[in-house]
Amino acid sequence: MIGATRLLSDLTKLVKQTRADEVSATAQARTRRVFRFAYEAVHQDLHQESLTVMVKVTLGRRIGVATTETLEPAALRRCAEAARTIAEHAREQALIAPAPWKHRLRVREDYLKATAQYTAADMAGHILRLMQYCQGLGVALAGSAMTGEDELAVVNSQQVTCYCASTVAGTKLVTMHGAASGYASAVSRDATYLDWDGALRRALEQALQPGEPAALPVGTYEVILEPEAVADLLLWLSYTAFGAKNLQEGSSCLAGRLGQRIFSPDITLADDGQDPGVLRMPFDFEGTPKQRVALIDRGIAQGVVYDTLYGARMKHASTGHGLPATETEGPFPLHLVMSPGALPLAELIRGCARGLLIPRFHYVNGLLNPREALMTGLTREGTRLIEEGKLTAPVKTLRFTQSLLEAFSSVRRLSRERRLIADPAQELGCALVPAMHLDTFRFTGQSP
Amino acid sequence: MPATSTLPRDVATLALRLLQRHGVDYADVRIERFLHEELVAEGGAIATINHTESLGLGIRVLVHGSWGFASTPHLTARLVGRAVTQAIDLAKAARLINRQPRPLAPVVPARAHHVSRCAQDPFAVPLAAKIDLLLAANQALLGPDAIKRATTHLDFFRRHKLFCSTEGAEIEQTLTESGAGLEVVAEGEGRSQVRSFPNSHHGALAQAGFEYVESLGLVPGATQARQEVLQLLQAPPPKAGETTLVLDPTQMVMQLHESCGHPTELDRALGHELSYAGGSFMTPDQLNTLQYGSSRVNIVADATIADGAGSFAFDDEGVPAQRVDLVRQGRFVGYLSSRETAARLHLPASGGAMRADGWSVPPLVRMTNVNLLPGTGTREELCRGIEHGYLLSTNKSWSIDDQRLNFQFTTEIGWEIINGRLGRMVANPLYTGITPAFWGRCTAVGRPEDWQLWGVPNCAKGEPMQVMHVGHGSSYARFDGVMVAPAQ
Repeated sequence: MIGATRLLSDLTKLVKQTRADEVSATAQARTRRVFRFAYEAVHQDLHQESLTVMVKVTLGRRIGVATTETLEPAALRRCAEAARTIAEHAREQALIAPAPWKHRLRVREDYLKATAQYTAADMAGHILRLMQYCQGLGVALAGSAMTGEDELAVVNSQQVTCYCASTVAGTKLVTMHGAASGYASAVSRDATYLDWDGALRRALEQALQPGEPAALPVGTYEVILEPEAVADLLLWLSYTAFGAKNLQEGSSCLAGRLGQRIFSPDITLADDGQDPGVLRMPFDFEGTPKQRVALIDRGIAQGVVYDTLYGARMKHASTGHGLPATETEGPFPLHLVMSPGALPLAELIRGCARGLLIPRFHYVNGLLNPREALMTGLTREGTRLIEEGKLTAPVKTLRFTQSLLEAFSSVRRLSRERRLIADPAQELGCALVPAMHLDTFRFTGQSP
Repeated sequence: MPATSTLPRDVATLALRLLQRHGVDYADVRIERFLHEELVAEGGAIATINHTESLGLGIRVLVHGSWGFASTPHLTARLVGRAVTQAIDLAKAARLINRQPRPLAPVVPARAHHVSRCAQDPFAVPLAAKIDLLLAANQALLGPDAIKRATTHLDFFRRHKLFCSTEGAEIEQTLTESGAGLEVVAEGEGRSQVRSFPNSHHGALAQAGFEYVESLGLVPGATQARQEVLQLLQAPPPKAGETTLVLDPTQMVMQLHESCGHPTELDRALGHELSYAGGSFMTPDQLNTLQYGSSRVNIVADATIADGAGSFAFDDEGVPAQRVDLVRQGRFVGYLSSRETAARLHLPASGGAMRADGWSVPPLVRMTNVNLLPGTGTREELCRGIEHGYLLSTNKSWSIDDQRLNFQFTTEIGWEIINGRLGRMVANPLYTGITPAFWGRCTAVGRPEDWQLWGVPNCAKGEPMQVMHVGHGSSYARFDGVMVAPAQ
């Protein structure tokens, strides 16, 4: 961990030294310790340290951005000089977004020493324990486990000084038993509270489902999507629908539909980077504090998220969803929160006459026809058939091709339980979501 | 910033000395300096110009059959020493679990120096010249109100790396890549369409200099893309049903990538990606027996091809670049492999496909340039005899199951083929299939003159995710009995 003092002091010095109309410096430091394992062996482990410092310089209506991966003073000066040189050569912009103005934030409440001090041997010990338990059941185990530390600091010439630090731990488990398999994940800020056993229990329950995997005909089925599967779809909607750029381009499924009912009244969805239930982030990469943004309220399309640029273009304040200055995809939500239902998941299953229980999807792609939120993807480990309210057999891989406008209008119930879904070894973004029972979901293909 | 500079060999020497002192079975040290210059224009103006510089070191150790890897951007003696300790600690922790030895296929330790071909150094081209080209192409995309987004980008990469191992390898390579592309989005009557040039997935990318970007014809390409995206707003969808497809090389890129490249990664076939990307139906017991495609299908992984985004002289464990047969006359005959995975299959040597996307991560088995070798026939000859079918171009969406069997693609654009001739444009075409059945119905592959090599800069794999630059080459190819539908 580099620490607030060092990061803020180096960035402040850099901003002061750089001659420009506006300067903004963002530093993102990250440590990841990852174990990957399969079939009773660890095949990869790593300790990764990375640091990215990004300097954005504004000269009149010209902007330049440069990035370096060190805090060495000479390299930082070179980086700022490169950003200045780029700004000098760049053409004038029609619109310069105003930088966030005058605030200070220092947030460390999500930094837990227990996670930072978690050793490689601690992690290997957990993996070994789970492997041995699976061996006793005749189940093969594969997966990954990680711990990490994150720091984000933003300083700009408009007197913004922000810093936050956090830790995270996670595991993903795949269980294999004959032709059946299971999957579950867990994530926590505190490695000592990571629910290894709960995740393994869920993954084992799927893999140990009696019966040969059923090859179901393609067609429309009732489905109960567990939280990972719900998040797989919603995270794609974040990218294709819930950002100001998607809305402005007309490619979002919310374009022309704001204020209209697009989903079932059971669905209320927000982006809330300050919610303690998510991997919260108090401010964005521009230094704007995160705001809660209502995306869907009881099925009605409410709004999208903004950064300073799209806020200025669309006459809306930034909602604190700016990405690093090198990103040109526009703002999108990173902390989705869906309101829960009233019944436990077990009750949802009991209420399903014939359908599928789907723990997660594989390789979802939402670019087929974003305007209609048309997506494709596949089931993977752990999908099971429900008959008369009971789980009766594993199900072979099925492909869906489905508009979410249609699917999310057919909500029967949401579960009372919600789970935080994130893949912190991979990317930003998380979702706190319940399971969803949908009346119709269209499957268009099967794997052999 | 300097476009080229020397790498700190003394740091690599120090790290190796420390590792040898710890008595590791094997270790390698990779120091990399990375440069990336990115220019993006949107709506006729510059959206961003960004220059990225990175320097760091990655250490990989093998201790009693267990790997450990640690990386650091801090190249001081103290922090390099800390990274050495971290790598060894990880390997020792993994020893709590690992019971089997981990032999490596042999390699002759090389001492070599390689610089990729680059006629015009893109980092030496004045920024103003790059901006002029970028804006000219971007402004050619602008037009009526229906155009909602017009994006153009230029990208230049340089990787300068030093690889040293305890076996005595010392290899320095400098790889320069240049790329460019554009994308235009139009909206009308509740429909939205996208068109890219010269390809989707970030355009074109090659191991070459600025001359490559200049050769792409971005300005005329922009005019064509703008016209086509507006036509797509009015174009009908394809008819649903089984039909014959001719895929052009821009779509063959993703067909090869998803249904041949990934399933022939040997680490994946051995289960190393089960928790993330999935497995492979091309398991070791299928090697040399599985009929993957028709006799017209010949696919190679070629890291030696000039200009390929997946080319190099040595991979990231010091194995020389090779051309490896993956599919020969339709039969599955080879894998993309590493020293460790090759040894697991008792292969005589690694296929030289271990690549890391930077100093901070260990290498994984990755694609190099996975290419379908050309056959004979022009595009017109491939279309001849097709009563009703489609020519599809430029990948739009992609999805395949975790064993790499059930795939579904949409393309940006297509044209009907009626009685062997191209007819009207179709919008939102989607096709789907099962990998060996689809390749088994490959009834023709086009001639060498139409063979194109495309760079793909966004191949994701691993935990943490590594984004690799790979290449795919193909001519036109024809497939019978493919299920087509409108994506709507």
